[in-house]
Amino acid sequence: MKKIAIDQFSELVKVLAERGPLYAPVKGKEGVNFQAIKNPADVTLDFYNTVLSPKSVFFPQSEDMIRYRITHGATEAQPVPQESRPAVILGVRPCDVRSFEIMDRHFLGAGVIDPYWKSKRDNTTVIGFAFDVSAAADPADFYNTFGYGAADPEGSDVFMVRTDKALLLKSMTDRGKKLLDSLGFLQVAGAQDEKVFEETVKKGKAVRTRSAEINPQVIAKKLVSVFDNGEFWQKVTMACIACGACTYGCPTCYCFDISDEMLFKEGSRKRFWDACTFTDFTLEASGHNPRPRIFQRYRQKVCHKYSYHVDKYGCISCVGCGRCTRVCPVNIDIFSIVDEANKL
Amino acid sequence: MTAFKKIEDHLRKEAKNLLEGGKVTLVLAYARGFDEKHPVPCVVKAAADADHLVFNEYCTYNMARYLTRYPVGTKIAVAVKGADSRAVVQLIQEGKVRRDDLVILGIPATGMKNQKTGEVIDAKTTASTINPVLYDVLLGDEIHGVKAGSPYDVLAEFEGMDKDARWAFWKKEFERCIRCYACRKACPMCYCDPCFMDASRPRWADKSPTDDGTLMYHLTRFYHLAGRCIDCGECSRACPVDIPLHLFHKKVAKECEAMFGQAAGMNIEDKPAMANFKGEDSDQMLG
Amino acid sequence: MSFEPKILGIACNWCTYTGADLAGTTRLKYPQNLRLIRVMCSSRINPSFIIRGFQLGADGVLVGGCHPGDCHYGTGNLYARRKLAITRKILEFAGMEPGRFRVEWISASEGNKFAEVVGEFTNQVRTLGPQTKFKITKDGQ
Repeated sequence: MKKIAIDQFSELVKVLAERGPLYAPVKGKEGVNFQAIKNPADVTLDFYNTVLSPKSVFFPQSEDMIRYRITHGATEAQPVPQESRPAVILGVRPCDVRSFEIMDRHFLGAGVIDPYWKSKRDNTTVIGFAFDVSAAADPADFYNTFGYGAADPEGSDVFMVRTDKALLLKSMTDRGKKLLDSLGFLQVAGAQDEKVFEETVKKGKAVRTRSAEINPQVIAKKLVSVFDNGEFWQKVTMACIACGACTYGCPTCYCFDISDEMLFKEGSRKRFWDACTFTDFTLEASGHNPRPRIFQRYRQKVCHKYSYHVDKYGCISCVGCGRCTRVCPVNIDIFSIVDEANKL
Repeated sequence: MTAFKKIEDHLRKEAKNLLEGGKVTLVLAYARGFDEKHPVPCVVKAAADADHLVFNEYCTYNMARYLTRYPVGTKIAVAVKGADSRAVVQLIQEGKVRRDDLVILGIPATGMKNQKTGEVIDAKTTASTINPVLYDVLLGDEIHGVKAGSPYDVLAEFEGMDKDARWAFWKKEFERCIRCYACRKACPMCYCDPCFMDASRPRWADKSPTDDGTLMYHLTRFYHLAGRCIDCGECSRACPVDIPLHLFHKKVAKECEAMFGQAAGMNIEDKPAMANFKGEDSDQMLG
Repeated sequence: MSFEPKILGIACNWCTYTGADLAGTTRLKYPQNLRLIRVMCSSRINPSFIIRGFQLGADGVLVGGCHPGDCHYGTGNLYARRKLAITRKILEFAGMEPGRFRVEWISASEGNKFAEVVGEFTNQVRTLGPQTKFKITKDGQ
């Protein structure tokens, strides 16, 4: 295990940013969000959790797949080269780290490998960052439901714990070890630090968020059985205004749309986030829309995450980070809906 | 200070009476969310459920937003605060809802708070409309004597900027836009189906979140809300990345009021400003 | 090379466009910077056209319609006046130079006025320089 004094943290950021792309939390007007770091001084560690999820590092909101140009009636098209430089994402909260594994199952494990996700994921070292274990969790969070603690190091390549004066960095994987070994200026942590690290992880287990007994297999069947209960779905989703804030904030929502966008004979084929709550998400070319009503679309969201995803990939596609609830303009709470459905 | 508890009791009682008496089939108001600070918009259909209704300083939602969801002819009781009542008036003007179908439960309220920050948001949005402009039942008492500035006071800083600074300001704000469309969806006046942004022929703006598409979206929306924006501030409140859209809407509303002599949603007899013209309109407005 | 502005003109079929025709047939000179688009009435102009024009590289946008009271459809330009007035304010508040957008009423018999207005507006936009605020650039945007 390594450590670095907090006042030297910017040194660490500087070195990482020089080596390759570094993504870290930056405070903006809207709150803290992950951004590619240009200026090391921008990075902050004083935040509860980012407004939007870190998924944008591996799955950007908009990404060019092919660029093309039309000249004299002929089209020249080129696939966009994928990022191959080693990157680092720093400051990911334990629940969000789990979201990467869930997304892996979809982008890498569905029989087809998504090259856009893979190239970024393979080249990126994830530095997890424990929540402040002495503070209470945000009332919207519910990661305890999935058995996650506030300082679980699992899933990270390197896990970072903040103490009064220092940051403790423990490598959890070979990739993490390689990164830490390459940073010669880090101090070697002593036995006392090891103890503090272990205690933090343990204390993290005791941080309580909202929680419910949700067994993936049981809830998957349950939701299918209440699928036709229109009255229930209409009641719980009445407030939904069908925007895409929850989806765009969610670390495990991976739906995207593809569109060709061209200007003056030059353009690109892009893929960009889409949201199942949008009116035109399922709109077919014929004009028919299989899910014209809001409750049908929100039901799809809940059932996808808690039922279909379990059937297909064996796990619930939710980490309980609470972002959807926090960004929702009308405070719809997926946790309450699932909990209520579970009890029907 | 607004007597929230008193209003809440009155709201429950009134909702119960209306539903029991069969005067309305549904009541649009607020209920408790996952905690007290986070109420949710709710619809009550049975008198027995009226006890779930709440009203506190975090009930910022504009319930008029849900009116256009129900077919014309549905008897609805809707709880509205000052600015929200203007939305109802504007919807009546535009023929989207009928006055006879509505029982308007007016709520005079000050001291409404932002759920995220706890900051009092009155000055930012509904500074001039504390009391509902149209109601059938008043919950609580009308508020008088509160020094309410002009709703346009907050604009001074932006009007003072030169054009380049203003462009730099908006460019920076719009760069954050993630196109979740929460602003249009939270807006009581945005009821178009489909919205111009969802149209693919013609494609008015890129579907992917490019800067120019975002600019087109917001500027066009400001225009679509011209003479119709009732200054409830829902667009800014709904925005997950805190873009101060209400400022632009206020500016447009201010110009509309100055040029066309009418503020949106003040009188059900008015015609919407952009669907109207007057003999005294002059070319001066073209600058 | 000196800067030559691109001007987008949107003209109503019955007055301004016919006025432009008249300017042509009477062999009046006006700058070639104008690209004129014909619409059936000035009230058909969606403000998004103007925004899109600026985005696609117009340095100035000139809108022409019938004189108030002379609309072929009776009242089209009276609605258009309100719409365009608000569009102007929106462009201004977004930070666009007010001099880049102009509305003129030009009748079918005012070929002279058409040539004058185009000349004047082109000069005005030329002094303002290239429009870079809304214009889509290849990199980044």
